[in-house]
Amino acid sequence: MSTAGIIFSSLNNDTLTRLTSDRTVAAIPFACRYRIVDFGLSNMVNANISNISIVANYNYRSLVEHVGSGKDWDLARRAGGINFISPYQSSHSSSAKLYSTRLEALRNMQEHIAEFKEDNVVLMRCDAILNFDLQDVIRQHDKSGAAITFVTKRITPDFSAKIKRLMFSTVAGKITDIAMSNTYLSKNPELSLDILVMKTEYLRTIIREAEGYNYKSLTEMLFRSLRSRDYRTYLYDGYVASISSFLDYYRASMDMVNNCAARESLLNKQFAPIYTKVHNSAPVIYKAGSHVENSMIADECVIEGTVINSVLFRGVKVEKGAVVKNSVLFYGTHVGSGARVNCVVADKNVYIGDGTAVLSGNENIPFYIQKGRRI
Amino acid sequence: MFFKKECIAMLLAGGQGSRLYDLTRHTAKPAVSFGGKYKIIDFPLSNCINSGIDTVGVLTQYQPLALNEYIGNGAPWDLDRFRGGLNVLPPYQGSKSSDWYKGTANAIYQNINFIKQYNPDYVLILSGDHIYRMDYSQMLEYHKSRQAACTVATITVPMEEASRFGICNTNADGRIYEFEEKPKKPKNNQASMGIYIFNTSTLIDYLEIDEKDESSSNDFGKNVIPNLLANGEKLYAYTFEGYWKDVGTISSLWEANMDLIGEDPALNLSNTDFRIYSRNSARPPQFIGEDAVMSNAMISEGCRIFGSVYNSILSGGVIIEEGAEVHDSVIMDDVVIKKNAKVYMSIIDSDTVIQEGVTVGDPKADKYHVTVIAKGSTVGPEKSGVAMEGKK
Repeated sequence: MSTAGIIFSSLNNDTLTRLTSDRTVAAIPFACRYRIVDFGLSNMVNANISNISIVANYNYRSLVEHVGSGKDWDLARRAGGINFISPYQSSHSSSAKLYSTRLEALRNMQEHIAEFKEDNVVLMRCDAILNFDLQDVIRQHDKSGAAITFVTKRITPDFSAKIKRLMFSTVAGKITDIAMSNTYLSKNPELSLDILVMKTEYLRTIIREAEGYNYKSLTEMLFRSLRSRDYRTYLYDGYVASISSFLDYYRASMDMVNNCAARESLLNKQFAPIYTKVHNSAPVIYKAGSHVENSMIADECVIEGTVINSVLFRGVKVEKGAVVKNSVLFYGTHVGSGARVNCVVADKNVYIGDGTAVLSGNENIPFYIQKGRRI
Repeated sequence: MFFKKECIAMLLAGGQGSRLYDLTRHTAKPAVSFGGKYKIIDFPLSNCINSGIDTVGVLTQYQPLALNEYIGNGAPWDLDRFRGGLNVLPPYQGSKSSDWYKGTANAIYQNINFIKQYNPDYVLILSGDHIYRMDYSQMLEYHKSRQAACTVATITVPMEEASRFGICNTNADGRIYEFEEKPKKPKNNQASMGIYIFNTSTLIDYLEIDEKDESSSNDFGKNVIPNLLANGEKLYAYTFEGYWKDVGTISSLWEANMDLIGEDPALNLSNTDFRIYSRNSARPPQFIGEDAVMSNAMISEGCRIFGSVYNSILSGGVIIEEGAEVHDSVIMDDVVIKKNAKVYMSIIDSDTVIQEGVTVGDPKADKYHVTVIAKGSTVGPEKSGVAMEGKK
C-alpha cells in the first residue's frame, strides 16, 4: 500500500508567539540541529512515503528555505517529492485568505489531492514531536478497515492541558466518545496527537461532505459523524513532546539533556534517523579549560567557557569564563567572557557581551531573548 | 551532445597509499577520514566547486568501493550536474587494449576521450591525498596571464625537507627552467604540490609522446614535466600561500589532524566563505555527559562523551564511556571506547571497540610511533599487546 503525506505547518502559531514572531511552528529550531518539521518529514520518509505536501499558511519563508527542494530528506523526486501548498486566489475563491483550520486548507488543495495516486494518506500537525513507526500505524489501519485511525497517547494523571486538545474514549480501539477536555470523558481518555491515517478516497469524501454540510473543521466533522463511522485509535506509548506553549518548548528542549530515554527515543532510534538540512559546518571545538556537562552541542560551536544542562545550536560561541546553564541558545549566539546565563532561550544571532552580569529566568519562566538582540 | 567547458579537473584518486598501512588496506587513500567529519577527497572536490569548476573526472583504481559509495553522484559537493559534474573513471576495456593505470600520466592518457568530450581549453590535474584549501581559479588566471603551456603549483617547504619533493627551479618571473624530482641537493625550497594546469592540446600531445616511450614510468613528475622542459615549453610556477599538507604517512595524517586544534589552529575549517563539503550521514547532535572532560578537542555529530578527551579529534558516532580517557589521538567513525580504557597517541579506524580497562598506545610515543588500530577491530586485554606494537 502506498501512502501520501500532508503536513500542516502552522496551526497554533498564536500560542507560541515569541518563537513564531517571524517563523511558522514547523520552522522552530529544536534539539541543536533540527527544526520541528524535520520530525514529521523523517517519520514519513522512514515509512517510505515520498509524496509529501506541506501546507504553509503563515510566515513560511524560513520553512521554505529550510526544506528547499527536499533533497536532504531524499525527497527531491521526479514524481511526488515535496510540494508547498499555500493560500492562493482562484476563480472560485476571490480572496486569498489564510486557512484557520485543516479542513479549509484541505478544501483549498482538493485539486492537488485529486491527483494523488497513493492508496492512503497521513495528515500530521507540527506540534507533536516524536519518532514513531508510522508504517506500523498504516499496517494496522489497513487491517482494521477503520475510516480513520488516530494516533493517540494515554493521558497521564498529571496531565493538565492549558489549551483545549482533542481527546477520545475508546472501546477495544474504537472511538466511542470525543471531547475537547478530559473532564467530560470516562476513564482512561486518550489524547489525540493529531496524526490521522485514512484512505485517500475517504479524504476526498470528507472534503465533499464538508462542502455539503458546511463543516468548518475536521473536529466538527468528527463530532457530527462519530455515530455513523468507524474511527479507531493507535496508542503510542513512546516519548512525545507536545509543543503548545513557550514553556512546553523549553521543557521539551531540557528533556533532550535531562531525560536520557526521551533523547534516545527521539534522536537515536535504530533505522529511524531524523534528517535535516545539511549545513556542512565544521565539528565542535572544545578549547583547553572548557567545561561541559550534560549538554547537547551542534557543529561549529566553539566552547571555551562552561556549559551545563544546555542545548547549543550551530555556531554558538561561549567565551572563556562565561557560564551557560539550563539554557537553549539558537544559531550563532555569542556569550562573551564572564557573562552568566541561566534558564534562557536565546533566539538566532543574540550577542551577549563580555561581563554581562547575570541573565536568568527560572525553570517555570525561562527568559526569552529576541533574535539579533545585543546585550 | 556536450557543451564546451573552459576548464575541467582530473582528480587522481587511485593511489594505494601503502604508507598508511592498515588505514588503506580496504580503502583508497582519498576515502580515509580526516578532521572528524571529512574524508581526504572532500578537500580537492570542495576546492573545485569553490573555484567554479563543475566538471571533475575522478580516476579510481585501488580498493574503490568505499570511495565510490562516498562520492556517489557528487551531490554533497554540488557536482551532480546536467552537463559535466562528477564522473568516476575506473580503468576500462577499450577495443584495442585494456590496462590498469600504470602511472599518473597513463591514467590521464587512458581518459583522453573523456577530456575531449568537453573540449576544454585547460585541464587541471589534482591528486586526492592532500589537505588544503585553494582557489584554483586564481591559479588559472595566473596560467592565462603568463600564456604558459603548463603551470605547476608550488609551496614553500622547509629547506631540510626539500629533498622529499619535486623541486621547481625558476627564473625571477616564475618561469621554470629546471624540475628536479626528489633532489639530493635541492637548489631551493619551492616544492611541487602535484597540481598542474595544462593547455589541453599540450597535455594531449605530451601524454601521447609519453605513452610511446616504453622506458617511461608514465608519471607527471618524473616524465611528463621534464619532457615539456626539455622541449622548451613555457612552464611557470604558481606559488600557493596557505595551509597544505601531504597526508601520505601515518605521522603526517596524525599531524594534520592535530593542526585543527590548539590555541591557534594552523587549519581552521569554520570559514563560511570557503566551505569544505562532505557527505552527511544524518547523525543526531553530540551529547556530553555529566562527568565528561574535554580539553582541546574537536568532536563530531553523533558522539556521546562520558569520559575524558584531551588533544584529540573524534569522527561521527564515537562513544567514550565513563572513566575512559583519550589522549593525543584520532578516533574515526563509530568507535566505542569502553569504561576505563585508555588511548594514547593512536589512530583508531572506524567501527573498532576498545574493551573495558584496556590501554592502547604509548603516552611517551612521538609522532613517528603512532599506534594504528585497523577498521572493525576489537581490542581486548589479551590482544592489547598486539595493538601496542603499532606501525611507523
